[in-house]
Amino acid sequence: MRGGHSPFRPRPRRSWRAPGELLNFTLYFLCAVLLVLSRIGHGAVGDVRDRFVDLTAPLLEAASAPVIMGRHALARARSYVGLAGEIDRLKAENEQLKQWEWRAKSLERNVAHLRSLLNAVDEPALHYITGSVIADARGPFLRSALINLGRDNGVRIGYAVINGDGLVGRTVDAGASVARVLLLNDLNSRIPVLVGQAGVRALASGDNGAELKLDFLPDGASLYLGDEVYTSGSDGVLPRGLRVGVVTGSPGAFRVRPHAELSMLDEVTVLFFDTPALTSTDPPVVPLERALSTTPEVIQEPAPVPTASVEPVPEGAPVKHAGAADGAPPGEGVAQAQR
Amino acid sequence: MNAILPALSVLFAVFSTAVPWGLPADATFILPLVVVMMVFCWRALPGTVLPPYLAMLLGLLTDITSGGPLGFWALMTLIAATAGGRAPSLTDGRDLGRLWLAWGGVACLVAGIGWLLASLYFVRWIDWWPIAFGALASIALFPVVLHGLLWIRRGRLRPERAALYRR
Repeated sequence: MRGGHSPFRPRPRRSWRAPGELLNFTLYFLCAVLLVLSRIGHGAVGDVRDRFVDLTAPLLEAASAPVIMGRHALARARSYVGLAGEIDRLKAENEQLKQWEWRAKSLERNVAHLRSLLNAVDEPALHYITGSVIADARGPFLRSALINLGRDNGVRIGYAVINGDGLVGRTVDAGASVARVLLLNDLNSRIPVLVGQAGVRALASGDNGAELKLDFLPDGASLYLGDEVYTSGSDGVLPRGLRVGVVTGSPGAFRVRPHAELSMLDEVTVLFFDTPALTSTDPPVVPLERALSTTPEVIQEPAPVPTASVEPVPEGAPVKHAGAADGAPPGEGVAQAQR
Repeated sequence: MNAILPALSVLFAVFSTAVPWGLPADATFILPLVVVMMVFCWRALPGTVLPPYLAMLLGLLTDITSGGPLGFWALMTLIAATAGGRAPSLTDGRDLGRLWLAWGGVACLVAGIGWLLASLYFVRWIDWWPIAFGALASIALFPVVLHGLLWIRRGRLRPERAALYRR
């Protein structure tokens, strides 16, 4: 390195730079204005952004395809390493699962018998649709993911999103072909949950970290490490009984480690769970066509999504709650909430 | 080509960094900083054109794809464009070290402003570690990105690399 030079030593300047400086200042000012408008949630800014998100979705989807394929290939290559040990582990696990299967069938018979004694009404099943994550959020603000399902597929704001491991988050924006999912660990995420066998009520809050905080625990609540955490449904937005994670941490500072690997999302499933609370936050009539705030009514012909495992649910169709099946096979988009 | 290539390469980077790479939560600040770093490098490289308004537009696109508030990454790229325009030119200085040092300063500045803005945005102090980690990683990655851009510009690296390390 040469001595005596400042790293920021200016290059030889032109004689007249005032227009350039003025333009720079204007650009900085514009950025500040945009930030303020975003903070206060100005509708025009949101609409413009939503339109662009819909426009860029095909590009993102195309760009994400090879990356996801590469991730799969890497995961497969990793699985080949230590294959013999994995087979042994799976054999042992299979033995355990056979015992669990027998026990589950026995419990199922008992439950069916008790329900018949009580004349309990069967809970209808939950419709769902499956898609892929095409982009994830980066930076200090959000923990979210963009999925290739939108209002054309029946997705609306507030729907729960799960994957094979458990709850992932909920939709916070829904465009014609894409939707943004706010992940569990986002700073703005608050999920009312039940903890452990006693069903202790609490609030699982994200803080942009890998684990969630467990707030508003009642005094004297007895929690144990490894207790299962699942949604309580008391917010009127998420279905009850979705797996969230397990309790970690220490007494006084309990946390929840999500079952879903939130930084490695790939395929996710959106549960169609409409509630009055959801209807009020995502009203069906919005004027802007094909923006993130449009609704299925303004879209003439819903286009099928190749990756979807279920047909779009038409507006006004009865939305079903989690629980027992209504006769439709699982492959046709009817799921038990407790997966 | 020197006018189109920088913008096109940064545009490619914006979309490439938006896809789900499966990075851990602590590493989410690294990828957008690569975009900011590319803007800085292109502005610092002599003979290439990447005006600040174009850098800002690319930052806005990063905002859109990242889902964050509009204006944040636009501001970061604008800062990088301003600093890159004033950084020691490789032709004048022929010194990678000084340019690296300059990027270190810009990365720290961007990280500090980013942390402050995010804290103001949420009206609470947010976790500083992912941002600091991202800034440190970007400083470490700087030579790789710079050499990559030189390779993109010339299609070959040898003469440029010779210039970089000439004393």
